[in-house]
Amino acid sequence: MLSRRNFLTTAAAAVATPALASAGQGLKLAFIPQENPEKLLGDIETITAWLSQELQVPVTGFVTFDHAAAVEALRNGDADISFMGALPFVLAEDQIGAVPLLSEVYRGQPSYAGRVFVRKDSGIETLADLQGRDIAFADPVSESGYLYPLDLFVREGLVADAGDADRFFGQKFFAGGYQQAMQAMANGLVDAAGASQYADLYLTPEQQAEIRVLGESEQIPSHAIIARPGLDAALQARFVEAMLRLNQAENRYLLAYLYGPDGYVAADPKVYDGVRQMARRYGYLK
Amino acid sequence: MKYLIASALIGLLPLNAGATAIEEAPWAPRAAAYRLSLFMANLTPVPWDKIEKNWTAPAPGSAVAVEALSRVSDRDARNIRAALAAEDRQALFAAATTALANGILKHLEKAEAMLGQPEAAFEVAQASALYRAFEDGILAADKQAARDLGRAWLVLNSSLGSSGVLGNGAQDADPVRFAKAQAVITEYIEASYLPTSFAERSKLTPLPETAVRAGTAAVLPATLPPGSNIADQRDLPRLVLQFEEAGEDEANLPLVAYGDMLFDSPEIFGYPARDLGIACSTCHNRSDVNRDFFIPGLSSHAGGMDVDSSFFNPMFNDREDDHLDTPSMRGIRFTAPYGRDGREPSLRRFVRNVIVTEFAGAEPTPFQLDAMVAYLRVFDFLPNPQIDQAGRLTDMASEAAKRGEVLFNTQFAGLGDRSCASCHTPDRFFRDGRAYDIGSAEPPFPGGTATAFDTPTLRNVNFTAPYMHDGALPTLASVVDWFNETKGLSLDAEQRADLTAYLQAVGDGEEPYQRFEGRDSVFRLSWEELTTFASTLDTLIPLRDAANIAVLVDTVAPDLAADASVMTNQSAKPEIYKFAAILRSVGDASAAGDWAEAGRQWEVFKTMQDEIDGRMF
Repeated sequence: MLSRRNFLTTAAAAVATPALASAGQGLKLAFIPQENPEKLLGDIETITAWLSQELQVPVTGFVTFDHAAAVEALRNGDADISFMGALPFVLAEDQIGAVPLLSEVYRGQPSYAGRVFVRKDSGIETLADLQGRDIAFADPVSESGYLYPLDLFVREGLVADAGDADRFFGQKFFAGGYQQAMQAMANGLVDAAGASQYADLYLTPEQQAEIRVLGESEQIPSHAIIARPGLDAALQARFVEAMLRLNQAENRYLLAYLYGPDGYVAADPKVYDGVRQMARRYGYLK
Repeated sequence: MKYLIASALIGLLPLNAGATAIEEAPWAPRAAAYRLSLFMANLTPVPWDKIEKNWTAPAPGSAVAVEALSRVSDRDARNIRAALAAEDRQALFAAATTALANGILKHLEKAEAMLGQPEAAFEVAQASALYRAFEDGILAADKQAARDLGRAWLVLNSSLGSSGVLGNGAQDADPVRFAKAQAVITEYIEASYLPTSFAERSKLTPLPETAVRAGTAAVLPATLPPGSNIADQRDLPRLVLQFEEAGEDEANLPLVAYGDMLFDSPEIFGYPARDLGIACSTCHNRSDVNRDFFIPGLSSHAGGMDVDSSFFNPMFNDREDDHLDTPSMRGIRFTAPYGRDGREPSLRRFVRNVIVTEFAGAEPTPFQLDAMVAYLRVFDFLPNPQIDQAGRLTDMASEAAKRGEVLFNTQFAGLGDRSCASCHTPDRFFRDGRAYDIGSAEPPFPGGTATAFDTPTLRNVNFTAPYMHDGALPTLASVVDWFNETKGLSLDAEQRADLTAYLQAVGDGEEPYQRFEGRDSVFRLSWEELTTFASTLDTLIPLRDAANIAVLVDTVAPDLAADASVMTNQSAKPEIYKFAAILRSVGDASAAGDWAEAGRQWEVFKTMQDEIDGRMF
């Protein structure tokens, strides 16, 4: 999850509209911007060119503002397929019937965890010690950057629900992304950060040596590639086959153009059950 | 091995990295132009043409390829242009600082107007990206202000609201909270970066005006400008050490191991190189060349820099913008004299020159020089089966290369009735130990004498592009073309291709880059090297050599901890931190003269090394 997208904190504009995607009969991919949207635009060109060749249909791509815009694009047909985190996916599934096609693999796993980090010199030893202290999460619509780390406090009986978190913590911030949350913690602006298990890699090596993990959530399905409902089943299947060919040695260099996972596996809709339950528990799903 | 970390670190960091070289996140175009302008305006002489390009062309290190001037208001752009035209440092500082501060405030105003919409987050991110250019200045001058402002940015991001996903997970914006945080930032920026006039500055820095006028003692950490790259190159060169190839272990050669450590140690350099984490290996990466090394203002292109500028050692400043291409050190014991101009007859003198003269370090001790020379002397060339011991092509070379070999040994009138081989002598490692003016440099004044340059070896030259002393020629083919044209060799296209094929044959090498796979990871290489460095304590502790132990510990302990961030086996990371702390204890005890404790901690270190070795990848 090292170079994962930051949902609401794009570093620069360069946000295209769906209208830039081909209006023809090909496949339209929606990408979520990460720290460098311009790089993403270049990446899209490379990956869509390869997919066009593999699928023998025109494949185009565009960058959306955020996950919400990507889901909106899937709903109104401006996009056929989108890259998506597990939480926004289950929300999209609920709203428009989006289907998961592929899951990213990082460090050999199609899953990861959320963690609560503190500075070693903070004197904080347990989650309970964070009562009345300040915490920075990444974003309210983030599984590893909010819900799963928050759930650690709920499971320990420290917090009743999301609303109760404001009572437990001194102040609860949404810093805008993993990196901002981790920097706020490492620089002493807050006492703790809730973020992806790999978010410490956003810190300098010196900062990494000065922090510790206070808690780790259950495993979360990794980011997914999802499709709008009604997308031609044969085209979907061919897309999945093509993407799985990225795991082959001769194609692996292309993964660097796709948020840098180690590879992909076909998605199993059941693995999102935990995320669905989590979304319901915290009021994200009815 | 300090810099291995950077070659594998994908995460991009917004802040100064401290002593460990890492790759920075790209900068917002205006912030990049601003920081580059400060850095370059502090050079002597000031490179005004380069400063202007930072604003009128996409700046190095910029996240988006747009001209910074296109993103400032008309008024701010006019002021910046006027300062550039007048070549006025103070006016440039005032105009650029004002433009950046105005940008921050404007983006925050836009964000406020768009609260509750996704665009608000984007505007806050833009403002924050500009604020980054001032952030280290504020932190250095006023820690409390830096903290208050940092908290204000958190509040801004937290009060933006979110529309969720099609309404699911939506959160309301909090305009009151947003406005309060905005006021904190706005008031500080107006007071500190938008004064009526700026105090005169001998050095341009992002320190807030309030602190400068108050005379606040503030120490800014050394930084390089946006677009700098002092991290290891991505394809790490293969290091060929004579004794290793022969089956010997470096841990059994303490003088070599200590020299290896010094080669990787910023501790032997002075400010600012030491503070930036620059070591010999930063440029001479694993005995070869770091082709990615680049510092805007000092490097005209990647793979070298002006080593005698005002930045690293003002005493050594020749006031000329003269980029030097970094030479490979493979087989260096065969390639005396040293320095591109061959001014240093021995490796020992050359090493001392680099430490003291180029990078402002303290005078090295005779032992340190002995160690470094011992290490450099075991660098070998990459094996190349296309040539024999006398430098003649073997049967493995192509027919084109063999035709090129004939041309290489042919005398030309344009070469003074000499051949290429006369200077690049095949049986002397394709060099002759002499310096020549071949017309690659201009005389310093009309009628003056141009610098003569040492004949470089052609061994392993395939991996050291670009070529010539200033790296002016990108390929070996372009080098052949240059000689053909400037020396009137009259070679046709086929002959030039043959001669190029010959150079490529003699310049080749087996397995030029290090391979990493599975547990044989970047960190594993670092682990093995750093623990080998530490093994010299077996020699230094009995000698009670506290000074050299201190250099070793100050180099190896932080590197161990820093390199942990690139471990494949992240679960073993805490063990490395503990391991590094034990080494630090060895240093503390030896500094205190408690040799029994130093010895005890050293044994603890070695025991732990054995215990955790299998997990270190």
